[in-house]
Amino acid sequence: MNFEEAKDYLLQKARAMGLEAEVLATETREMSLSAFEGRLEEITQATQGGIGVRVVVEGKVGYAYTEEKTPEALDWVMQEAYENALLQTGGDAFIPAGSALGRHDLLGEGLSAALEEKQAAALAVEATLRQDARVKQVPRTAYQEQEVEVVLGSTKGASGGYRAGVSVLMGSAILEGGGAPKQSWNVDASREFHALEPGKTALELIERTARLLDARPLKTGKYRAYFEPKAFAQLLGVISFLFSAKNVLEGKSLLAGKVGEQVASGLVTIVDDPTLPGGIASRPFDAEGTPSRPLVIIENGLLKSFAHNSETARKMGVESTGHAQRGYKGVLGVGHSNLFLKPGAGVRLEEGVLVTEMMGLHAGANPISGDFSLQALGLKLEGGEVAYAVENFTVAGNLLTLLQSISAVGSELEWEYWGMALGAPMVEVAELSFAGA
Amino acid sequence: MLSETLVGEVLSRARLGGADYAELYVERWRRRSLRMLSGEVKEAASGLEYGAGLRLLYGSEVVYAYTNDLSAQSLLELTETMVKLKGRAGQVDAQGRGGLDFRKQAAQGLHAPEVPLSAKDRRYRLERLLEAEAAARVAPEIKQVQTQLLEWDQEVLVATSEGKWVEDRRVRTRYVVTAIAQGEAGMQTGSVGPGKSVGLELFELYPPGMVGRQAGEQAMTNLRAKPAPAGTMPVVIGNAFGGVIFHEALGHLLETTSVAKKASVLCDKLGEKVASPCVTYIDDGTTPHGWGSSEFDDEGLATERTVLIENGVLKSYMVDRWGAWRTGLRPTGSGRRQDYTFAPTSRMRNTFIAPGDTPKEKLFEGIEFGLYAKDMGGGQVKPGSGEYNFAVKEAYIIRRGRIEEPVRGAMLVGKGPDSISKIAAVSSDLETAPGMCGSLSGSLPVEVGQPHLLISEIVVGGQA
Repeated sequence: MNFEEAKDYLLQKARAMGLEAEVLATETREMSLSAFEGRLEEITQATQGGIGVRVVVEGKVGYAYTEEKTPEALDWVMQEAYENALLQTGGDAFIPAGSALGRHDLLGEGLSAALEEKQAAALAVEATLRQDARVKQVPRTAYQEQEVEVVLGSTKGASGGYRAGVSVLMGSAILEGGGAPKQSWNVDASREFHALEPGKTALELIERTARLLDARPLKTGKYRAYFEPKAFAQLLGVISFLFSAKNVLEGKSLLAGKVGEQVASGLVTIVDDPTLPGGIASRPFDAEGTPSRPLVIIENGLLKSFAHNSETARKMGVESTGHAQRGYKGVLGVGHSNLFLKPGAGVRLEEGVLVTEMMGLHAGANPISGDFSLQALGLKLEGGEVAYAVENFTVAGNLLTLLQSISAVGSELEWEYWGMALGAPMVEVAELSFAGA
Repeated sequence: MLSETLVGEVLSRARLGGADYAELYVERWRRRSLRMLSGEVKEAASGLEYGAGLRLLYGSEVVYAYTNDLSAQSLLELTETMVKLKGRAGQVDAQGRGGLDFRKQAAQGLHAPEVPLSAKDRRYRLERLLEAEAAARVAPEIKQVQTQLLEWDQEVLVATSEGKWVEDRRVRTRYVVTAIAQGEAGMQTGSVGPGKSVGLELFELYPPGMVGRQAGEQAMTNLRAKPAPAGTMPVVIGNAFGGVIFHEALGHLLETTSVAKKASVLCDKLGEKVASPCVTYIDDGTTPHGWGSSEFDDEGLATERTVLIENGVLKSYMVDRWGAWRTGLRPTGSGRRQDYTFAPTSRMRNTFIAPGDTPKEKLFEGIEFGLYAKDMGGGQVKPGSGEYNFAVKEAYIIRRGRIEEPVRGAMLVGKGPDSISKIAAVSSDLETAPGMCGSLSGSLPVEVGQPHLLISEIVVGGQA
């Protein structure tokens, strides 16, 4: 069976069982080419896909999925989803009314280059890195691409699909010079293979890592903090947890009950735009078939809206913002697409610490309490100039306090790709706690 | 899961195409998950994952492909494509001729569950989670309790061109209780999540009443905690999940994935003193029912107990097949992968610091001002520079040798080799705890462990 057939089989079965159901299938083609010491060291090629159902039985919702598309496996899926639904408490679940959404192609010719060109790109990142005498080792450079086909259908009329994809260049290098070695990563992603530039990926990596050599410990204290765009984008990824209406309803968001209030500095405007042309995470509709549109979450510091799927929207008495997220393995959630902090008038570097990179976000930032304490790498600024590199230090604070203490926003947006696309310019924060020697 | 003839044909074709080694990994994986919040089932899901990964080695060069179309036609086409990717199609290697004579090995059931996935009805699961939730509500300030149950039943087949045919089955169960306390100072969390290579008897090994209460108490402790101090100071690290510090600071630096590429600060150091003499560090894939245990690794090799560091001296790395090829070292049964979508790399299993002989109380003596990091969150490391961090979930100030007020939001940072040389004393109370470890071959269940121990100085990141 192919995915269209499997989808039809499941929907037909649901109708026969008298259930409301929604079927989501994705099929992914992937390729990865890794270079090491001037050769292609690892080549990965894959096709993979699966199909998942969300069923509603007497107002209760259950989920199941399979990667095996035999009738037996699909029958098992319906039975499991049905039994899982009966386990649920409550009785207000529903599958939203849907419509014909059409077939969309967001990828076009983006990945159409010849295999040789892609191999050459992976090799070129490595070769460029190794030209620099300070580069001691290049553990990995790679070109990766992923093409995804999404198929959605429901017993309530939703029907559609789209094709999307991304090509990525990445490198990791260890640099030496003076004191201890430093290791960094650089990842560049685009919808178009031809928009990637191996030389740029490599040189940026060297530049970003080399400036951290000869680092000294940072004296513990409070400093003005400057976050480079990619570093702030990482923090935005954690902050995005607060914008999810699902987390608000589950009592996990510090922003609960604050729509219409000033929650950030007036310089802060945060937007999620799934329609962004060329956006890495753009999508024509969400996982429930709600058509995509841009969403202003915070405008000049005022909290305008949370991100909603149909379930959270009904519970909070608003309309879905088209932010339903679900993979075939997953359950209905809320997810952002291209989330960014809108550029501002600019930042002038003066005194303080320039944070270039952070580590340990998955553990050191607690989005429920809002507290964060993160390992950082960066540069000490004195008199508007870089004085020296600093290491072995942490930056700590609270996400909400941080949003309120933003004192300047840069004028150029940069993107970081972490499953969702996160964009930020340079950000200046009036004061943060730093721990070091 | 696949016929011997088909597996033999795929592997032989790969060898005929010039591969030095071919390995087919097939899995069928049933998973169940249940998430409850405030007494209500929020999400109940089931899944069936089914796929295969084929890896060809040409020297140390790797071609890997995976698919979940396991028909004969699809697998044979895939093999042809892979051979062509190396530009070796049509080449005939005499060693690849003829059929493969598989030597079959099956798991003995050393980690087999007492209560399999199909036993007990869904109500039983729900009731245990409700019990945990009730226990977590230790105070009126506990506003939300989330409980989650994960059940995995994974069947694996590994067959290689060397004639290996290994079947393994891994049943794992874990539940996590997260309590959210809310007061004037805001929201704080506490969480506890036992997991083992067992079935639902996990609830007997770790009673929901006890686990829930611990989560609730941790959230309440954090609610009344002040922000952690900042600066360099002595730190006593708690046992069990405290071991995550050495998972980051030491474990990852000893995987051949980094070592073979000279991308670890601990490469070329076998036989050298790399840690304080009170440190013995062991990675054991055989621990009965360990969260990170399995009878075979994902390359079909029997797992073993590997002594990495003995009394401060580096004795062994964690070696997978690729790492063995690159370094000439003996494989240690450490080739692991999340699932068929990843080629295996060298990974940790159940990794712990062996018990020492300092009584726990002695660790605190003589500390004028320091931190007791009782329970830990996760962390991260860069093997090439050794820089690592990890977050502290529950911590207290040590003042004049006594454990005093709780503090929250601490993060410890350092450089691995530096921190392990500063371990001043190790207690005898070894405990282990489960976690998930993310790296090149995906997210894997691992156990970490250690007794209480003292690090003479480390950077504590806090706000005060």
